[in-house]
Amino acid sequence: MTLLSIRDLKLTFRLWSGPVEVLHGISLAIGKGERVALVGESGSGKSVTARIILGLLQEQRNARISGTVEFEGRDLARLSARERMSMRGRAMSMIFQDPTSSLNPVYRIGPQFREVLDRGSPGISAAEARARAAQMLAEVSIREPDRVLDSYPFQLSGGMNQRVMIAMALANRPALLLADEPGTALDVTVQAQTLDLMRGLVADHGTAVLFISHNLGVVREFADRTYVIYRGRIVESGPTAAVFGDPRHAYTRALMAAQPRLTGGGLPDIPERDPAFDAPAIHHAAGGAA
Amino acid sequence: MRVVWAFLRRTGTALLVLFGVSILIFVIARVIPGDPARVALGPNATADQVAALRLALRLDDPVPLQYLHYMAGLVRGDLGISLYTNRPVTTDIAQFLPASLELIFTAGLLMVAIGLPLGIIAARFRGRWPDHVVRVVSLTGVSAPSFVWAVAFMLIFGYWLKWFPISQRLHDSFQVAPVTGFLLIDTLLAGDGAAWRDAARHLVLPAFALALAGIGQAARLTRANMIETYDRPYIEMARAFGFAPGRIARRYAFRPSLIPSLTIIGLDFAAMLGSAFLVEQVFGWPGLSRYGVQVILRKDLNAIVGTVLVIAAMFILVNIIVDLLTVLFNPRIRLAKGGKA
Amino acid sequence: MRRALHILAANPLTLTGAVLVLLVVLAALLADVVAPYPEHAGAVVDFLNFNKPPSAEHLFGTDLVGRDLFSRVLFAYRISLLLGVVVLVISVPVGVTLGLMAGYLGGRREYVLMRITDVFLSIPPLVLAMSIMGVLPPTLLNGMLAVTAMWWPWYTRLVYNIVRGEKVEGYVLAAEIIGASKWHIMFREILPNCVPAVVTKITLDFGFVILIVSSLSFLGLGVQPPTPDLGSMVAEGARYLPDSWWLAVFPGLAILVAVFGFNLVGDGLRDILGAEQ
Repeated sequence: MTLLSIRDLKLTFRLWSGPVEVLHGISLAIGKGERVALVGESGSGKSVTARIILGLLQEQRNARISGTVEFEGRDLARLSARERMSMRGRAMSMIFQDPTSSLNPVYRIGPQFREVLDRGSPGISAAEARARAAQMLAEVSIREPDRVLDSYPFQLSGGMNQRVMIAMALANRPALLLADEPGTALDVTVQAQTLDLMRGLVADHGTAVLFISHNLGVVREFADRTYVIYRGRIVESGPTAAVFGDPRHAYTRALMAAQPRLTGGGLPDIPERDPAFDAPAIHHAAGGAA
Repeated sequence: MRVVWAFLRRTGTALLVLFGVSILIFVIARVIPGDPARVALGPNATADQVAALRLALRLDDPVPLQYLHYMAGLVRGDLGISLYTNRPVTTDIAQFLPASLELIFTAGLLMVAIGLPLGIIAARFRGRWPDHVVRVVSLTGVSAPSFVWAVAFMLIFGYWLKWFPISQRLHDSFQVAPVTGFLLIDTLLAGDGAAWRDAARHLVLPAFALALAGIGQAARLTRANMIETYDRPYIEMARAFGFAPGRIARRYAFRPSLIPSLTIIGLDFAAMLGSAFLVEQVFGWPGLSRYGVQVILRKDLNAIVGTVLVIAAMFILVNIIVDLLTVLFNPRIRLAKGGKA
Repeated sequence: MRRALHILAANPLTLTGAVLVLLVVLAALLADVVAPYPEHAGAVVDFLNFNKPPSAEHLFGTDLVGRDLFSRVLFAYRISLLLGVVVLVISVPVGVTLGLMAGYLGGRREYVLMRITDVFLSIPPLVLAMSIMGVLPPTLLNGMLAVTAMWWPWYTRLVYNIVRGEKVEGYVLAAEIIGASKWHIMFREILPNCVPAVVTKITLDFGFVILIVSSLSFLGLGVQPPTPDLGSMVAEGARYLPDSWWLAVFPGLAILVAVFGFNLVGDGLRDILGAEQ
């Protein structure tokens, strides 16, 4: 059962200096409830891919997109901006790198949570929203939901905000969760804890996840399948175990060799370019769909 | 509690600054070349009359002593006698200030009520035609002094279209007992609807002429701050959660960007205290500014110092209010200093 | 530089502004050559042609003593620009230096300098200039003095705020560690970082100086007749509305055009300099 299917996706930005192609035709699929990772350095095109899936880049005037993105069997390009908007926050949702700056600084968590719930159940009452929010916060192991709901984001720790964001993202039971470098801004142990939490929750809810990261250690723990992206191209893909156990593409190997073993923090130190990195893509056939 | 302390500190600094202003303006007023007493009395006065006035004004004392004497009066609420009207300066100011304030408050209201929405629209349609239109309109607004707008409005809407009256505050046929000095309030208190409408109609052209530059500034500033806010992660998160663009503009972009805007809007509002001089002159508005020009032209020392001090005090007061509002609107400052969390 | 030209070409508003500014500057410089009646800049009387509406001979009409308004506007531009240059040439270096000192040296100097700046900034600009002009004889030189006196604090405040941010940057610490002198750090290390903001403000201020100077003369506190000045021309013309409308409208329009041009350029400059940081 395919939830999301991307075929030959190309993205071009028209800039003052001329057009720049950022994605050169990537293909990728996610099944229902499946956890898929998209791994690459910053600037490789991972984040723009997520924003195309959400339908955000389609609204940017200088972005030209070709290829197909099908979500729940519907071609996103054929949907109106309004229809794409109605999918966001309900059928699909996203969590971001820096939880604290991703929450509105001038409102308390409670009202923000209510706005999120209002997307799923329009016209929800304040009392009901509060009860649901408290319940969701409890699910992400927040012990004092009331205190958190009455706080501003800057009064909470980064790890706490991260949990709040996960709870918000899952509040309307989306079929797909996009996680863009979640928690990279947090300290490593907090990051590990929240990822554990998230893994448990998406398993319970049957939510599929597209996990975007440059951190191989985290990906290995989290994902069923992995795509490695380099400069706007998928260079290697397959079940996580296969990609990690038997990396065959020169770029994947370089990426792994450069990865700090234990901490997983910091950016890997990889040669910027190598002719071998431009070799054709490798697809490991085993197990999952592709 | 710490908010209160911060407020007290701010007020303390303000008083210090006001003290500095009094010295500055006093010094400026005393470097007058020629004899202010002679200027005030005119060429026909006798030498005895001039000498008597010099004595009354203590003009023969050293300047620091004159200043001390003046400050002693100031503390008692006495700003001296105006040589132009022969009345206490405080009486003059009390008579002319309300008309100016009514004009300035109205213009300030227009600035916020029109400038902010224009800025919001421009930011939401950044790079498209509404943005360009707002940009040209607001740049035009700030590109001419208020007296040019005053003259233009007077000519177009007063003389040619005859939509609005072009001088004074109220038609002679209306008699309204002065209570607050604000005609819009006094006419209401008198229960005279026709007079209220007439007063409002008299306000329209001067208020718009005074507000135009502020409207332009407020729009440009709101646009700039909103655009900066639009690049913040929480806006992207709001988009990712599918909130409608209008809602994002209001709750996610406008409210946070209002905080930096407030300061500048306060400054613009305070700057109207100066521009009001020009507008009142054109429309024959019987306010403090017109009085100020008269006393400056007549080198009326006490009145000049008094008027400038009052204007500076209001200017500083506006800034304190703006600072307080900034604290109230920004939970981060409010809570960090309030120690509530 | 090429980049700047590129952005300029891509931005029609900035280009328009640049053209307007160029026209105004040329008009001011070449007033003797361009003006159809250069002698009308002075105290000339031509009673045969007094108070005439705009025509082919007199583009902007004539004033109450028959002088060509268009010629007078061109010469008035010359005065306005001259005032603008002088005011900024004096107030910018003074303001910037004081801002650098207050921001970098800190301590008691910072406190005293910034409180003095506050005092000047606590009087609405026009009111301060008016009070100074009110007590001094209304000559061109005094007009410059009055406006300069109110202008420098804005640059002090601007530079002070930038310096406070830059002071803790690595390059300043590095210069301190290798033992560079305070003056070297202030003027050679920190000052270049203030340049974009200062340059932008100067461009915008050119327009504002024209506004303030014309406001002063509108109130009768600036340049005195017969020297042509846009503000006093509007004041004079406003008394003969609506019949002799051209007397006030064209000088008013002339102010608008010049200031609008400088504002457009300043706005564009802010985008260009901001984008390069």
